[in-house]
Amino acid sequence: MNHLRSKGIFFLSLLFITIIIQSCGGVPEETSSDGTSDKVFAVADILTLVAKENDITRTLYTKGIVGAGKKQGLKFDEDWQDDEIEAGPLPALFLRGISSDIRKSPVPLGLYLGSDFPINASNKFQGKQAELFEKIKTNKEPQHFFEEDQKLYTSMFADLAVAAPCVNCHNEHKNTTKTDWKLGDVMGATTWQYPSDSLSYKEAIDVIKAYRNGTKAIYNAYLNEIAAFKIDSTKPSIGDKWPSKGFYLPTAEVFIDSVRKLTSYKSLEKLLAGSDKQKNNDIASN
Amino acid sequence: MLNKNPLRKRQYKGTLIGIAVTIVAYIILPLKQSEDFLSLGPLNTGHEGLSCSACHTDAKGSLIQQIQSNIAYTFGARKTKADFGTQNVDNKKCLACHDRPNDRHPTHRFLEPRFKDAIANIDATQCETCHREHNDTRIVLANANFCVNCHYDLEVKNDPIDVPHATLIENKQWNTCLQCHDFHGNHIYKVADKIKDTIPLQQIQEYLKGGMDPFSSKKKHLPLSEEEWLKMKQKYAN
Repeated sequence: MNHLRSKGIFFLSLLFITIIIQSCGGVPEETSSDGTSDKVFAVADILTLVAKENDITRTLYTKGIVGAGKKQGLKFDEDWQDDEIEAGPLPALFLRGISSDIRKSPVPLGLYLGSDFPINASNKFQGKQAELFEKIKTNKEPQHFFEEDQKLYTSMFADLAVAAPCVNCHNEHKNTTKTDWKLGDVMGATTWQYPSDSLSYKEAIDVIKAYRNGTKAIYNAYLNEIAAFKIDSTKPSIGDKWPSKGFYLPTAEVFIDSVRKLTSYKSLEKLLAGSDKQKNNDIASN
Repeated sequence: MLNKNPLRKRQYKGTLIGIAVTIVAYIILPLKQSEDFLSLGPLNTGHEGLSCSACHTDAKGSLIQQIQSNIAYTFGARKTKADFGTQNVDNKKCLACHDRPNDRHPTHRFLEPRFKDAIANIDATQCETCHREHNDTRIVLANANFCVNCHYDLEVKNDPIDVPHATLIENKQWNTCLQCHDFHGNHIYKVADKIKDTIPLQQIQEYLKGGMDPFSSKKKHLPLSEEEWLKMKQKYAN
């Protein structure tokens, strides 16, 4: 009897030790997060930073490519990817292209554009987004909230009519739902989502990179469409010149480089501020 | 020792048979010829001839590591489970071959809060909601009237068709959408402007069940073949 009992205890102990040993190691977790002390950025701060980059990128595209390009005879269309249509993406679709590319990256960042008077009905705000958009329209201030159903930290930023092409195209579009847009109006809002309330330095950099890679991807997709245009005379020459100088388009590198020049100073300042915060935390904890 | 106890002899025989069966199964089951036997059902249209491993790729780590990770998960020592044996087949797997820049309804589009009610009816954030594999079909939905979930309040200005969209919506003819509109938007074809010239509903239904493609034989982007996918995987692995 005693023999059986000690045998039982032996096997139980063996099982326990095996479980303990087995628990150490294994497949590394893909979502392995840095320690909480590394989470130096509040999600709203990073979404504000990247939304600012988005504002600058889209203003540059709208004014420098769409606005100036139209004067040179370039066309822009909703169905720009259809074979029979030889055109580039309208600014809203440029943003959707960035958003799609971000989704292909491992960065869990969501980006959407909506309005209360959209050209495409599927972009109309509903529910909580519609309520918050009313506030944004009155004070142009961003709205940060936690989307309970999706468990995602969400920020909405005003999307302003910053350039004449925004106003003219939306007022004159055959499917427009509003014809009296004017410069400075809040035409819509961008919605950004991220699954965590704070980000490490690396995660913040990854968010910025994912956004910038998205810009490059959609711009390259536009250049690829141009390469497939059937009539050579409709193809602008692609190099280091912009449409304001003639029938030209900048290469993806030239376009992205201009975006970087306009955005990097502010983005870097914000990242360094976060880095200082981390340093102070480290000193305090020592 | 075997002579002493006949029960022990039976035990040893059983063990040997068990080991032999395991070895035979271990050798035979992974063979290409065994795939039909192991498959949950016939593959969907367009996927005929794919190897199991095209979708069911090996999970990360060795089997021992995967067991370790899952034990750790059970005891709360890690936040996520590890895939065991093969990786979970999710959107990422589908998009590895089927991703297209011109997709009119990409799954990620429906992650936006405004589609919350729509995806409660039909979870368009997941490819397999419509394209569940191993069903010998193209889409698994019983009806092709799913457009209503998002487009219920559609208003079309300068309506190009003889029976206006407003009438079709009023009559709840949501089955007619696909007679003109290709959901993912990859076919190259001319849309009819008279309802009598649109693709008959029966042809659409046959197509959804895996039959002939009534939209067009021309597509703007083709999915990767298994060979192309393997080549690409190899390229990024190096």
